[in-house]
Amino acid sequence: MPDLVLGISCYYHDSAAALVEDGAPRAAAQEERFSRRRHDPSFPAQAVQYCLQESGAKLDDVSAVVYYEDPGLKFGRVLTTFAAAVPYGFAPFREALPDWLAWKRRANDTVRDELAGLGLGQVPPVVCRRHHASHAASAFFPSPYESAAVLCIDGVGEWATTTLWHGRRSNLRQLAEIRFPHSLGLLYSAFTYFCGFKVDSGEYKLMGLAPYGRPRFAEVIRRKLIHIKPDGSFRLNMRYFAYLHDHVMTGRRFETLFGGPRRSPEGPLTEREFDLAASVQQVTEEIVIRLARTARSLTGERRLCLAGGVALNCVANGKLADRKIFDEIWVQPAAGDAGGALGAALSVAMERGASRAHLGTGRDGMAGALLGPAYNDAAIRAYLDEHGLPYSRPEPDALIREAVAALDGGKVVGWFQGRMEFGPRALGNRSILGDPRDSAMQSTMNLKIKFRESFRPFAPSVLAPDARDYFRLNQDSPYMLLVADIAPDKRLAGPQPEGISGLDLLKVQRSLLPAVTHVDGSARIQTVAEEDNPLYYRLLAAFKERTGCPVLVNTSFNVRGEPIVNTPAEAVTCFMRTDIDMLVLGGFILRKEEQPAWREGGDWRSDIPLD
Amino acid sequence: MRRAALFLLYYLVLTPVGLLCRTVRDPLHRGVRPRASSYLVRR
Repeated sequence: MPDLVLGISCYYHDSAAALVEDGAPRAAAQEERFSRRRHDPSFPAQAVQYCLQESGAKLDDVSAVVYYEDPGLKFGRVLTTFAAAVPYGFAPFREALPDWLAWKRRANDTVRDELAGLGLGQVPPVVCRRHHASHAASAFFPSPYESAAVLCIDGVGEWATTTLWHGRRSNLRQLAEIRFPHSLGLLYSAFTYFCGFKVDSGEYKLMGLAPYGRPRFAEVIRRKLIHIKPDGSFRLNMRYFAYLHDHVMTGRRFETLFGGPRRSPEGPLTEREFDLAASVQQVTEEIVIRLARTARSLTGERRLCLAGGVALNCVANGKLADRKIFDEIWVQPAAGDAGGALGAALSVAMERGASRAHLGTGRDGMAGALLGPAYNDAAIRAYLDEHGLPYSRPEPDALIREAVAALDGGKVVGWFQGRMEFGPRALGNRSILGDPRDSAMQSTMNLKIKFRESFRPFAPSVLAPDARDYFRLNQDSPYMLLVADIAPDKRLAGPQPEGISGLDLLKVQRSLLPAVTHVDGSARIQTVAEEDNPLYYRLLAAFKERTGCPVLVNTSFNVRGEPIVNTPAEAVTCFMRTDIDMLVLGGFILRKEEQPAWREGGDWRSDIPLD
Repeated sequence: MRRAALFLLYYLVLTPVGLLCRTVRDPLHRGVRPRASSYLVRR
């Protein structure tokens, strides 16, 4: 009987469940994919049910349930923060304390009660691991390294906001930490908030905005907001931040420092927001690089593992990889709190004597992050027939050929195959694909398919063996978590036009892959290896054979504000609501022009909250 | 009723305790230390 450990993260944001079998991730999913509520923080009942179903287990078969943080310790931090903020923090105190007293300080007991309510058998003991211990475990144990330095940077869990670890085989030892309220994640979130984006969601947009601006505020940030030491450790000047005593991130002093009130959500983007994004991005990169140097000198290791929300900053990761402080870096694909569920489970599995069976195979232990639900062709056919949707079912080779022909013809293809990805990125199983050579593809995908802001870049998937021909990349990037420049010979020759700034930069074609080239000439790369995703690899290889180009635009299969699709029904709905031309759903092909008119009551877009 | 209890708890208990803590030792370590070489807490 295999040893099963169930990890759970919830009650903050991005709740998730993960099941580890003899030390290897067996299944993992975020609750948002089932509840259809983006960043859903609630107890991940459906994700737990899925994980158990995937392994054919009941709760009786599970050795331990692990909650991804220590709620008692977190309550201590919350109370200390309230005490430190007196007399200005009554409003958040009044709103938060009843929940903390009632159940949050014993969230692990609440998890046990919720599990019991599922009726899936006897609930095993529920234990807790610290927030950063969960992150560190998620970064190191599935990594392909026998030993490595581990760096976790996020907003906050209990007290720690940044931690350094040394991982050796099945052991992780913490070396140092930085504590709340001093947090690089919260600094980045403060600027996210100030630029009019949602905290814990819009950080990605701020990162995408940075190349449009100049880092003219970076010195102000260093002088006024954050005191950085040579080893990368730092303290924030809390007089400029409001999160200790208010529901908002920044206050009046912050507004005065940066020339006026925050941008209103969905308001126009100005040069100030571009420059603020560029500035905080530069400071973030500086700190990450310094901390990595410290990790290197403290551990003597040549490889680095990363996790925590800041590890999703793929621009900083790319700069880090480029500096060659470490020979190689590996980033947990679910680096945010969802990955905490996996890390918590892995941590306890290792304590129970599990081994890291993937070591020595040359691969990591994440199975390409394809740990979510799959739907077979019988289920897909049943759905299509029930709804009277016209489809064809070509032979596998013909299916690839037809998809490639559509892509080469400028069509946008929804690609739904196999198991859903765990983590925020679509990696070729729940993806919308396009031709990166098409200069109109970025605006078409942003405005007609994703219904999102025009400034946001798209990412390329590239055949791993061809990656270095197209990008200045010095290692694989299987989880789309490294940004690198387009290779010099793929950039367009000649001087770039002068006097263009802001969103007008989008109009300039910079490379032979305009749809995936950001305004600074970089791209957020996914290298696709045949072992990780054979079908997606075949698609890319066939596209290369037809066009000479081993690259596709890969964006997540959803519209703005919606979680990535999970089921065939959600994929069909997204296909019909948008300008996607073709949907490849398992072994079936649906063409938009053959489909009956799509009807649904009201404006569906008003049902999806903006992110 | 609950709001009144929370009000009293905040202003009659937590506020004096918090002010006292801040006077004796800032529990959140908010001050900068220009001469220190690091803010890392070693474990």
